Formats: sequence, structure tokens, C-alpha cells
Amino acid sequence: MISFEHVSLAYQTGRFALEDVSFQLKPASFTFLTGHSGAGKSSLLRLIARLEKPTSGEIRVGDIAYSQLKPRQEPGLRRQMGIVFQDNQLLYDRSVFDNVALPLIIGGFRFSEIKTRAMAALERVGLADRYADDPINLSGGEQQRVGIARAVVAKPRILLADEPTGNLDADISEEIMRLLLQFNNSGVSVLFATHDRELLQNYRFPQLVLDGGRITNLGRSPAPARQTAHESVSP
Amino acid sequence: MTDIDIGSRWGYTKRGYAITQSVRQLRHRSTATLITLLVLGTTFALPAVFWFGSASISQLVNRSVGEESITVYLNLDVTDLEAARLAEQWQGEARIRATTHISRAEALALFQEQTDLDDALAALGANPLPSAVVVYPAIDPNLPGNELVTRVEGLAAALQAQPVVDRVQIDLDWVRKLQSALNLFRVVVSLLAGFLTLTGLLVIGNTIRLELLRRQREREVSTLLGASRSFLNRPIIYTGALYGLLGGAVAAVLATVAYSFIKAPADELAMLYASTFRLSLPTAGQFLTIIAVVTALGLLGAILSLFRPIQGQVPNR
Ligand SMILES: Nc1ncnc2c1ncn2[C@@H]1O[C@H](COP(=O)(O)OP(=O)(O)OP(=O)(O)O)[C@@H](O)[C@H]1O
Ligand SMILES: [Mg+2]
Repeated sequence: MISFEHVSLAYQTGRFALEDVSFQLKPASFTFLTGHSGAGKSSLLRLIARLEKPTSGEIRVGDIAYSQLKPRQEPGLRRQMGIVFQDNQLLYDRSVFDNVALPLIIGGFRFSEIKTRAMAALERVGLADRYADDPINLSGGEQQRVGIARAVVAKPRILLADEPTGNLDADISEEIMRLLLQFNNSGVSVLFATHDRELLQNYRFPQLVLDGGRITNLGRSPAPARQTAHESVSP
Repeated sequence: MTDIDIGSRWGYTKRGYAITQSVRQLRHRSTATLITLLVLGTTFALPAVFWFGSASISQLVNRSVGEESITVYLNLDVTDLEAARLAEQWQGEARIRATTHISRAEALALFQEQTDLDDALAALGANPLPSAVVVYPAIDPNLPGNELVTRVEGLAAALQAQPVVDRVQIDLDWVRKLQSALNLFRVVVSLLAGFLTLTGLLVIGNTIRLELLRRQREREVSTLLGASRSFLNRPIIYTGALYGLLGGAVAAVLATVAYSFIKAPADELAMLYASTFRLSLPTAGQFLTIIAVVTALGLLGAILSLFRPIQGQVPNR
């Protein structure tokens, strides 16, 4: 599904955020992306979302080779992905519904489809009754769930989560984790960047461990997974 | 699922979304928007007034030429009968609208009326005045003033060349003076209008740049969600067009009001010169053209502002 072949990324400062990174994720896999702060987790996700271009190496998603990608194809690529951030990146000038509907408007969906899908996504994150609210009136956890609803509403094949539980308390982290698992069970590949020890311990999914821009593990979690997820990482 | 209350279906199409966003932003900052529209309106009002007036100004010259006549004095040996025939014959020419024959007796009567030289004339015994034909040139009002003057002078020269003609009298000098004064006026006002149009374009461009900054976050988030360039730019372009449309309407209204102030004194002045010239009121077509032109400038301003790449289109985290 997603593969990196000797990918390096240097920012304009000349500093390498990622160096010679190679791995493969299978379709419908659930993978943690861990590593200390500054290890390059966000950079890796940004590369997948084509928000950054690798300095060298090749990235493939499905049968798309990023080196062959034309700029005008990038939006279409991003539409196949859902992205969730620590800072949920909601727009506070519009309702919860309109936030969730935005990817569908961008995707050019019909109105009836937009209504059903957005409400269904809100339903799944348990916020259907808040559709008309301003996101600013929602709690941090609720806002994060709106962000997740928005990320999955257009039925992406890949869900990229960059520390979505970052500044939420443990209960809410659990809840969000369970949501992501639900989507994973319905066939979405999830790549979940986090350094939440509790989550990493409770859910024994394969881990990609970054240290100083390099992958340091062989892609196996230390103990068997508690969940029934497939072994999905191969170095 | 029960029916939900989320506003119009149209607002969820790509185009509808863009327009809704534009209108919302303008309404959201209604004071700033109003000021911008007034700035645009006053900026474009002067060029608009000038444009409304320019048709009338060309007319002024044409009419002045049209009201001018050529007096053709015939040789003394031409009889009144021959002169009357000549007048009739000339009337048939394409370059001539009308002719009036003034017989020798009429000429004398006119002369006596206008002067106190009765005694001197009586002393001469015979009538010393020739027959005359007053020629009114045919004027094509669509021709530029310069060209008209040249043509009328050409006609005068042609008449002068006829053997029966003694002398041709025509006074177009003042028309030429008027013409060059108006030309100067035109150039000055055109330059002014050009500068003001540029100012308007810059105002729109700057407003759009601010708009881009304000929408930065929305643009970033939309990019993350897979928005294409055209999706990102559409609301901006609509905002430019909207500023142009509303600013143009303000300009057209201001210009019409200003124009109606100018009309009364201008007509009075024309009347003092016994001219039939009157400023014509702006037509609905002209009014709409002003709005259309400013809307186009709004679009142009927005498109030009979008040319510069926006730094950091995508959040970095
Ligand atoms: N836009 C940028 N320009 C220059 N350097 C950057 C940029 N973004 C990130 N970096 C650097 O690249 C390295 C990796 O950063 P990245 O954000 O990927 O780390 P991270 O693992 O996500 O960290 P955190 O857990 O704190 O979010 C860091 O050293 C960072 O300073
Ligand atoms: Mg990060």
C-alpha cells in the first residue's frame, strides 16, 4: 500500500529530517509511528501526503510512484488520504457539519451524498447531535473527533494521524484509538504517529521507530499484538 | 436520518461554496468592505464622469462646425437669376446640406440695416453689393472634429475655385481653437483617468492580498483535504469580481450624480453661446458598462494578486 525506498528528506536549512528510510505497509494495516520529538514522524507523514517532496528516494502509494506525480495530480492523491493532526485544524468560522462536509465539497459530491455521508461520519464519532454547533464550543476531545470525522468522510484508503491524542487525557486517547481501529477494521490503512506510551503498550501493533531520521527497529512490535491486526510492516 | 438544517443545497456545490465564502467574508467585515467600496467608487467615478461626457464633448465640436456656414460672394457681373440657379445647383451636391440665395437688393437692405452708411451708398448711386449664396455644409456627426473642419475648409476652397465666385468667407478658427482646447482637456483627463484606474486596480489588488492572508488557514486546511488550485483560488477571484461589481455600482451612481451637477451649468454656458449643444444624460448602457468594466478590473486585480505564490500554503507540523 505504502512503500518508502531509501527516502531522505532535507529541509532548506540543510538539516536531514529523514535519512535513507525504507519500509512497506500492507493494505488495511495499522501501524504506529514512534520516536522521540524531532525524530521525523511528522516529516514522514508530510511526505506521504505530498506536502513535502523527498530529497532522494522513491515513495509509492498503491500504484502511484511519487517521482512520476505531476503537481496537478497531487490534490487527487491527497483526496485518497485522511489526515488528522494534534492541532485538529478545524475551521472555526463554520459549523461542525460544514467542517466535515468540506472534503466532500472539494471532492465534488452531490448534495444528498454530502448530507448522508457527513451525518454518517458524525454519527460514527458520536457527534451527530452537535452538527449545527460551532466547533469552538466543543471540548478538545470532541473537536478531535470532528477532525477524525472530516478525515474519514470521503472514505480514504489511508488515514494518517499525527499525534491526534497529543494533548488529550488518557480516556479520550482510548476513545480516539478505538475510532481509528474501527476505521482500520473497515479496510482503511492507518499510520498513527504517537509517543503515547500507554497506547503503545495497550495496543501491540507493528511499530516504525524513528530516531534522528532513521528507522531503528525492524518493524516488529516487541510482543504479540493484543488486537487482531495483521503483521503489516516489513523493513 | 431526520432532515437536518444546514442551509442551501447550492452552498455545497464547488461554485456555490466559493461564492458563499466570498459574500460571507465581505459581510463579515462590513465596515472595511464599505470603506473599500467607497474608495473604489470615488476612484472610478471621475473616469466614469469623463466617459459619460466625452460623447457630448465630441458632439460639441461637430455641432459647432455644423452650425457654421460659408458665405460665398459672387462676381458683380453675376445676375440675381444666375445666382439663384447656382444656389439651387449647389444644393444638389452631396457635401452641401442647404443653400440660401441673398440677392443684391437683399444684401443692400441687410447692409443698410446693419450700418449707418446710407448717405455714402446713396452717393454711389448703383448697388455696389454682389449677389451671395450662404452654403450650409453637410456634416457627418460621426466624424472627428478635426476631420470635419478640414472637410468644410475643403468645400470652401472648392467654392472659391469657381470662376463665378469672388470671395468665400468662413470662420472656423474658433472651432479649431475649441478643438485644440478640448484635445488638451481630453489628454489631461485621460491621463488622470488612467492613473485613477491604476489606483483602483492597486486598491483591489491590495484588498485581495489581505483577503489571502485572512483566508490562509482555510486555504491550508483545504489543501490538506485535497483541494485543487482552482478550488483554492475561486473564492478569491469571486471576491475580486464582487468588489469590482459593487465598487463599479457605487462609481456609476456617484458619476451619475456628479454628472447631473455638471449638466445644468454646462447647458447654460452652451445657451450663452447660442449653441444647441446640451450634455446628454448617461444611458442605461453606459451605466452598466461602467459596472462591467470595474468588475473586470476587480477580476484582473484578483488574478494578478494570485500570481505571487503564497508562502507556507501548508501548515508545517
Ligand atoms: N519546515 C522545516 N524546516 C526545517 N526543519 C524542519 C522543518 N520541519 C521540521 N524540521 C526539522 O526536522 C526534524 C524532524 O521534525 P519532525 O517535525 O518531523 O519531528 P517529529 O518526530 O514530528 O517531532 P514531534 O514529536 O516533536 O512532533 C526536526 O529536527 C525539525 O527541527
Ligand atoms: Mg510531529
